[in-house]
Amino acid sequence: MDGTPLIRLADVSKVYHLESGDFTALRHISLDINEGEFVALMGPSGSGKSTLMNQLGILDIPSAGEIFIAGRNIAQMTNLERTHMRRDVIGYVFQKFYLIPLLSAYENVEYPLILKYKKRDASGRAAAVLKSVGFDEEMSAHRPNQLSGGQQQRVAIARALVNDPKIILCDEPTGNLDRKTGFQIMDILADLHKKGKTVILVTHDPKIAEYAHRTIQLEDGRVVES
Amino acid sequence: MKGIFFNLSVRSVRLNFLRSLLASIGIVIGVVAISSMGMLGTNMQLLVKDQLTTGINIIMVTPDVVMAEPGSSVSSSNGITDIQLREIRDAAGVNDVIPIDKGSTQFSIGSNDGRGSIYGLDPDDIRSIMNVSEGTTIRGESDAIVGATIASRFDIKIGTRIKIGEPNISVTRPVVRVAGILPAAGLSSSNGINTDNAIIVSDTWYTSQFGEGNLYDQVNIYLKDVSTLTEVEDAIDKKVNRNKEVVRISDSSSRITSVSSTLSSLTTFIMAIGSISLLVAATSIFNVMMMSVSERVQEIGVLLSIGTETGEVRRMFLYEAFILGIIGAGIGGIMSVIIGYSVVSAMIGNTAYFFLPESIVYIPVGMIVGMIVCIISGLYPAWHASNMDPIDALRSE
Repeated sequence: MDGTPLIRLADVSKVYHLESGDFTALRHISLDINEGEFVALMGPSGSGKSTLMNQLGILDIPSAGEIFIAGRNIAQMTNLERTHMRRDVIGYVFQKFYLIPLLSAYENVEYPLILKYKKRDASGRAAAVLKSVGFDEEMSAHRPNQLSGGQQQRVAIARALVNDPKIILCDEPTGNLDRKTGFQIMDILADLHKKGKTVILVTHDPKIAEYAHRTIQLEDGRVVES
Repeated sequence: MKGIFFNLSVRSVRLNFLRSLLASIGIVIGVVAISSMGMLGTNMQLLVKDQLTTGINIIMVTPDVVMAEPGSSVSSSNGITDIQLREIRDAAGVNDVIPIDKGSTQFSIGSNDGRGSIYGLDPDDIRSIMNVSEGTTIRGESDAIVGATIASRFDIKIGTRIKIGEPNISVTRPVVRVAGILPAAGLSSSNGINTDNAIIVSDTWYTSQFGEGNLYDQVNIYLKDVSTLTEVEDAIDKKVNRNKEVVRISDSSSRITSVSSTLSSLTTFIMAIGSISLLVAATSIFNVMMMSVSERVQEIGVLLSIGTETGEVRRMFLYEAFILGIIGAGIGGIMSVIIGYSVVSAMIGNTAYFFLPESIVYIPVGMIVGMIVCIISGLYPAWHASNMDPIDALRSE
């Protein structure tokens, strides 16, 4: 690490222009997240957590201010560069898993590798990552609808990890799971953090937030605690 | 790389197999319509062309001015003279030259009256250019042979007697005896004479009844080599029409060009009608593709959010349209062979030309057009999918 934060938000605001008028979802947010941090984003509904996650996941660009990820200003990148950064630098884990229903568990994990290397995975990386999240190898050929919620989330984590991203973004990763399975998933994320990944998760659950080493509290689009 | 997106498209089609198949049926119908109509038109063209080209080796020389003799039952012309005939023979070289007397006449068979053409030819010439389907050729002075249409209309048998000329109580009309009946010649006869509605008699009998022994109404030149057609025509023109145009020289080639062009326009027209069904198919494919996109909005959101390029998403949906096209065009191609063959057989009654390249080519043409229509129908849905906002797409339920 050279002291530069992995993620830097400088006076970031996000305004949505709605028919009913402008709605400001983020207000002048400035924060740094260093490589290797485990951060929990918390706050009530409508506080701007999801909007902030979308900014961090480069799914959107701010209305004002600047966001730097791995040293690059995302507003100055082309669409294609942003797409490649999502593919190579960021791993996204969603609350609803969002596996591709037409692909098997193994193919879901292999998919980002194919996007990156433009060929099928012959290195065994997809299988190895699936194994690392405790996913039963025999289940690899199953389609998402044949898997339990916990199994689907493991596959989703494996998919997020397979291109060895620096940042893992988790949007309420345990929200659709029972408590026991939720903690199992959090154990996997904690383990990834130990291995040097930067993990940022959105949660409502203080118990889940306890896994993080830093909590950023949002309220009405502002950071009230960091 | 193509693999994963193509696989996704194949699986999507398979997942909604019935819907995809139904959409493809539109393309099947379109391909069959275009191919069958194209093949029907082409087979018609080939058949007609073949029928017309049976007489393409014949040059017809006729007098430039045609006149009707007042008071005569036979209209005739000033005719081609013996001198002109000799010049034509000289110009024609090795080719056969046959002078023909012709006119139109009334006739009676029993109590039935009719009207038709009457030709007078040298019996040897008749033997060389006409083959009877029944009876014999002309042997006696008052023998005649008749065309198939007259024979069937008047129920003529061998030996039937025909009174030639206008019925007139005061004049005894000459009578000929039917020695032979000619087969139907159709659109174009192989000898350049329209014999179906004609009575053919010997030149001596014709001259004895209608006079003008040294004048002929037409001279046919039967070429041994069709490629010499222009050469021979030029030679005749040069020789006979030295000072002014006294004879007209014609052949069937211009007729073939004109008929072919008409039939070609007709083929294009009926294919255009067939292609309307492809427009309907295009709407159906567009609808199915839009359904596929709207059902997979969330999936598209995931694909975009995990780093799939917009071009890759676009390609995935275009592959889907392509697969629907392949299914439709494939089935359509097979059906076109069966239906096209049946249509050609039923409407033309002759399938001899069906498998010729110029006919069968309409099957790949129809298939390619069907596939292009499918891909075009998939363009907007694919563009729509690839330009979705991933955040909105992920939020959709």
